[in-house]
Amino acid sequence: MRTLVITAAVSVLAATAGLHAQQAGRGAPPPAAREAAALDLTGNWVSVVIEDWKWRMVTPKKGVYEALPLNPVGRKIADTWDPARDEAAGEQCRSYGAANIMRVPGRLRISWQDANTLKIDTDAGTQSRLFHFAAAPPPGQPSWQGHSLARWEYGPGRGRGQARTGNLKVVTTNLRPGYLRKNGAPYSAGTTVTEYYDLNTLPNGDQWMTVTTKVEDPQYLVRHYLTTSDFKKLPDASGWNPTPCSAR
Amino acid sequence: MESDAVFGPMMARAVVVAAVLAAAVNVLVLAQDVRTEPTNIAGEWRLDNNERDTSSQAPLGDYTGIPFNDAGRLRSDTTPESIWGTLEYQCRPHSAPHQWRGLGGASILVEQNPLTREPRVYHFQFMRSLDRPVFMDGRPHPPAYAPHSWTGFSTGEWIGNTLKITTTHLKDGFLRRGGPQTTDMYAMTEFLTRHDDILTIVTVIDDPLFQDQPYVHSTTYSYDPNNRVNMETCNGSFAENGGTDRHYVPHFLPGENTDILTEWITKGGLITGGARNPAAAEDWVPLIAARGGLKTLYPEYRATLNGSITVDALKVPASRSAVSAEKMIAAQSPRDGQVHVLPVQGNVYMLVADGTNITASFGADGVTLVNTGPAGMSDKVLTAVSELARTIVSPTAANRCSGSNCPGMWGWSSPYINTVITSPAPAPPIRYVINTSAAPDYSGGNEKLATAGSNTRSGGFGAAVETVEGAAVLAHENVLGRLSTPAGGAAAPPAAALPTVTYFDDFYKLPAFFNGEPVIVYHAPDATTDGDSYVYFRRSDVISAGDLFSTVSYPLIDIARGGSVQGVIRGLNAILDLAVAEYRSQGGTWIVPGHGRLSDTADVASYRNMLVIIRDRVQNLIEKGLTLEQVKAARPSMDFDGRYGSADGPWTTGMFIEAVYRSLQEKK
Repeated sequence: MRTLVITAAVSVLAATAGLHAQQAGRGAPPPAAREAAALDLTGNWVSVVIEDWKWRMVTPKKGVYEALPLNPVGRKIADTWDPARDEAAGEQCRSYGAANIMRVPGRLRISWQDANTLKIDTDAGTQSRLFHFAAAPPPGQPSWQGHSLARWEYGPGRGRGQARTGNLKVVTTNLRPGYLRKNGAPYSAGTTVTEYYDLNTLPNGDQWMTVTTKVEDPQYLVRHYLTTSDFKKLPDASGWNPTPCSAR
Repeated sequence: MESDAVFGPMMARAVVVAAVLAAAVNVLVLAQDVRTEPTNIAGEWRLDNNERDTSSQAPLGDYTGIPFNDAGRLRSDTTPESIWGTLEYQCRPHSAPHQWRGLGGASILVEQNPLTREPRVYHFQFMRSLDRPVFMDGRPHPPAYAPHSWTGFSTGEWIGNTLKITTTHLKDGFLRRGGPQTTDMYAMTEFLTRHDDILTIVTVIDDPLFQDQPYVHSTTYSYDPNNRVNMETCNGSFAENGGTDRHYVPHFLPGENTDILTEWITKGGLITGGARNPAAAEDWVPLIAARGGLKTLYPEYRATLNGSITVDALKVPASRSAVSAEKMIAAQSPRDGQVHVLPVQGNVYMLVADGTNITASFGADGVTLVNTGPAGMSDKVLTAVSELARTIVSPTAANRCSGSNCPGMWGWSSPYINTVITSPAPAPPIRYVINTSAAPDYSGGNEKLATAGSNTRSGGFGAAVETVEGAAVLAHENVLGRLSTPAGGAAAPPAAALPTVTYFDDFYKLPAFFNGEPVIVYHAPDATTDGDSYVYFRRSDVISAGDLFSTVSYPLIDIARGGSVQGVIRGLNAILDLAVAEYRSQGGTWIVPGHGRLSDTADVASYRNMLVIIRDRVQNLIEKGLTLEQVKAARPSMDFDGRYGSADGPWTTGMFIEAVYRSLQEKK
């Protein structure tokens, strides 16, 4: 009887192993992120600032924290905002970190750095973000753009012969402390930024990218901070205008 | 041997078990990668977003981020928030573009195909809303002459993880609470994508009459099974609007409220007692940017704020609209030489005859037509009316019972057998034709259609009732005068085309119920002419408005024949006094316009509001001493011209403004 059980178990494992091997291309390595992409984000993009215009296109005065879930500690820090001090300290990129960079009006250039690393360059603040799908290097020193791990979220119907569709999820940590809004609303080094990238085709033919951003910072926020930022695809790089970070 | 004998069948069983297990595991593994069912979005969702439009109401005059054109800006500038107090708007739900940003969360329910379990209809419900179905079964959108509603008509399709929803048939409304307006000629597209427990909603509002490119905004909800979408009932009352004039239309004259529109920048928000809080003034926002506009949406606009480039010189990567408002408006009144039929309510149907609406009541008593359409459409109208009368009043249907299964069975068989062995009854005749005016597109078919009908006449003094050839043609007496003595020396129509019954009082009731309901013809004095009527089918709860109301043009006011803008407004107010919305300021009493889509109270109110606003603007310009040409040049109807105006054709915007001007000079 024991032999029977073992035989059945071996059969199950053998069949399952065979299936996995088949899925991996009969022993081949899994496809690189570029080949397995659920959507194509590469190209040139421009922010279309419809929401929160008065907090994004212009810098609000100190003390305007409306809609930000700052706790008393965060609010106290924000009340001491001094752009001159940031400039003197070489910290003028504080509002260009990963927790806010997609809210900064500007153009994006998205490309594959290699088969498993997606790169986003911004002209505003001349920042670069790297999204690692696999074999990510270990996080180094905290930085404005931190360390980002990415994965595709596939939609239904990804059967044989069907185009892959879905979304991109990115989780970023290892951040240098920065600002959620240019007027000094802080986020800490312990912040986690979770982003979802969607691509839709509008009725007029525009390719539209919406980035849903969830910022979690137990140090300065009472709850998560959730926003969406919208971008329109451009046919070329016209209008690309690299500008350094500005603290004001 | 004994053990082998046992082992053999056991081994066989083991192999089968193993194979089944392996297959099951395979299915599970594959299912992780090749998901076939759409993302589950059903459930309770809590609005969870940290953007300004969601977290608070934008102040009056804040158009930042809106690609407004001049018309949209003017319309919004002159619309006070007190418009919500008007009777017909008090119970409006949030406008569709704003709905996802209204407080209270969202319930998403799903109806499934019981066999395949594919979503058949999604239902979206909000605190201040009506149930909003999104049809997933591939059905087409209704024709353009079907009614518009606050939530419109929506169909959906899954594209990967995203539910794409296309919505048409929307009423006019607002982009955000606080003033930015839309027309009723916009299309809305939404993209709903679930990410873990977050639902991202991207909404595209394409309103080419008020916007220079589509307005696209996005927001987020979080899944929250404990969230409950409370139903907010409407307790609106006339008192909210001051209570002194139920027809009052609040609005600002252009330029009148400039200070109010910028107070949020210069003075701060209101605090207790009507004082202002200067600390809350959003004075870092440039006044010019607060006015919105296409160029303000793009990053390069910031260069205009430091003076390195002018707004006029600035180039931005603008998008185009996918909507042709001109085509959408024309489609509400298709001039295609055909008769289109739209069931309305109760006995009443709307027939669109080459762009002109005919209202028809069908029933056992016969047919009553309100207007007969253009003369050239008479044959097609008659064919359509006859076929409808046959199918509505005497439908051909399969026998639904037999023998003792039939209700009312008597004897050995039942009368229901007759539905099988007899032919259908003939179509009941046209009994009445009612003309709401003498306009040729309303009375042009009188001769043919009235002649094809019949009516009854009492002999009086005990004589038998007799059937007479020809339907009775009913109109205000001034219509008879206009038709029998046409202007310009034109030949009078044949007698068969002329009214046979006229009235000269405030209203006229048909002498008895017709098809089970009262039919009342009301006079609207000095409206588009001196002979206008509108007709109320009281049990069906449908009003045929004739020329008083159109969803495709300004009213064709004929000053020479006794018309006036004041009379049209009075007529529309009278219709609004009769009509009652079913719920949330929509539906209920249906109003058939002379031209355009089937409408309800809110649509008539919107049209009335437009006329009041233009009348008051023209009056203001007259009081300033402007001549007619100067009034025209001032474009007092600029924000409505895209919707109702025309640069050419038989009734231009200039002719309409002249009619308003002359009406006011004559002070009717």
